[in-house]
Amino acid sequence: MEIPTETQPEVEILNKLMKKTLISGVLIGVAFALYHNFALMPEYQGLNEGLSNYILKSGLNDTGSLNLITAVLYDYRAFDSLGESTVIFGAVSGIVLILSRKMLPVSSKGLSFIVKRTLGIMTPFIALFGFYVITHGHLTPGGGFQGGVILAAISIIFSIVYGSAFDYRRYSPQTKTALETGGALTFLGLGLAGILMEGAFLHNLGFLTAETGTLISAGSIPYINIGVGFKVGAGLAIIFYSMIQKTFEEDF
Amino acid sequence: MFNNLIFIILFMLGFYALVMKTNLIKNVIGLNLMEAAVFFWVISFSDIGGEVSIHKLGEEVTKFNDPVPQALTLTGIVIGASTAALLLTLIMELNKFSGTIDRDQLEELND
Amino acid sequence: MEVLEIILVVFLVFSALMTVRFDEELISIIFLSIFSLILTALYLLHKAADVALAEAVIGAGLNTAIFMSAISQIRHGDSD
Repeated sequence: MEIPTETQPEVEILNKLMKKTLISGVLIGVAFALYHNFALMPEYQGLNEGLSNYILKSGLNDTGSLNLITAVLYDYRAFDSLGESTVIFGAVSGIVLILSRKMLPVSSKGLSFIVKRTLGIMTPFIALFGFYVITHGHLTPGGGFQGGVILAAISIIFSIVYGSAFDYRRYSPQTKTALETGGALTFLGLGLAGILMEGAFLHNLGFLTAETGTLISAGSIPYINIGVGFKVGAGLAIIFYSMIQKTFEEDF
Repeated sequence: MFNNLIFIILFMLGFYALVMKTNLIKNVIGLNLMEAAVFFWVISFSDIGGEVSIHKLGEEVTKFNDPVPQALTLTGIVIGASTAALLLTLIMELNKFSGTIDRDQLEELND
Repeated sequence: MEVLEIILVVFLVFSALMTVRFDEELISIIFLSIFSLILTALYLLHKAADVALAEAVIGAGLNTAIFMSAISQIRHGDSD
């Protein structure tokens, strides 16, 4: 037996009004709770004591890297960067598992001739800039994550401007998977070498160090940067390639 | 005081887009807005007027900004992008299966 | 630089408001990209160089590309 769906219009309007009032009440309640939270917070103590004071005073002597944020991310808290790489790895695995049903590379025509020639000249410089940002992570702003995403942008440019068949021929998904696995194994290998040589997981290895301010300094931080850069770049390129694979099915 | 108010406005805008809109892609955009509001507040709260946190060779700079919140924000930005990519993949598959991206129509499909 | 920060924050709130308002998804994604760009300038104003570089590359580059490639493959239902 079906319930008759015609109610009176006044009851419907009243229902909608009550629902809107309830939801606005919830939103105003949450906003008020957030505002009250700021009234209860203690004063900002500045950097006179605590963890940040220690890092600012003795970051250069402990690690040898000029960039303090890279010293925090890859030496003092390197375990958190390992966790972040694992999160990216999990997202890439999930996306490839859901979307990998079509195995043949299908392609579109790409963009016009002017765009193709212009980007053909610009792409080596983008790759050079990406490698610069990765390897100089301990001297200038940058590091593994930023440079890795710049390298992934090259694969995105290939897929959009030249068509996805060009991207399949140039860097097949097997190559990208090999690069990602290589990066992850570099990170873990340096961590285990820290156990063998210094006694703690992901401890900064002190060998191969020249004076501070040159490229080969700061222990094992440049090598961790290279590993993380390849891993993040290859992972994000795989994500984009899997997501547009199904666009051109109707186009073909 | 100023930064607290801006954080509350941006966070409530993202929360409104997450709860009140029935389009699934609007929900993902609202999630991104909430995360961006939190990162903005963390960086602007820990700013004491110092320099960029990089030592210069041969010069002594006395006042640096705090490097620990910046490292945490860097991690958060990358994780936010990965989460959004996975959510959008699930929405694409759901749309292929049922033909709609509306939350209410998907609930009716359950009956 | 108080005046510059106030101007940028006003544009930030305005673009966040425009993101939520419209019904069509393409307009929302473009305003999200503008939001990321203004956020990059604000990070640089607070002297956080690494975070500004990461937000510029990820927020305005990768996030927009992924969102655009997702909405080009959906088909709308009968209503709305």
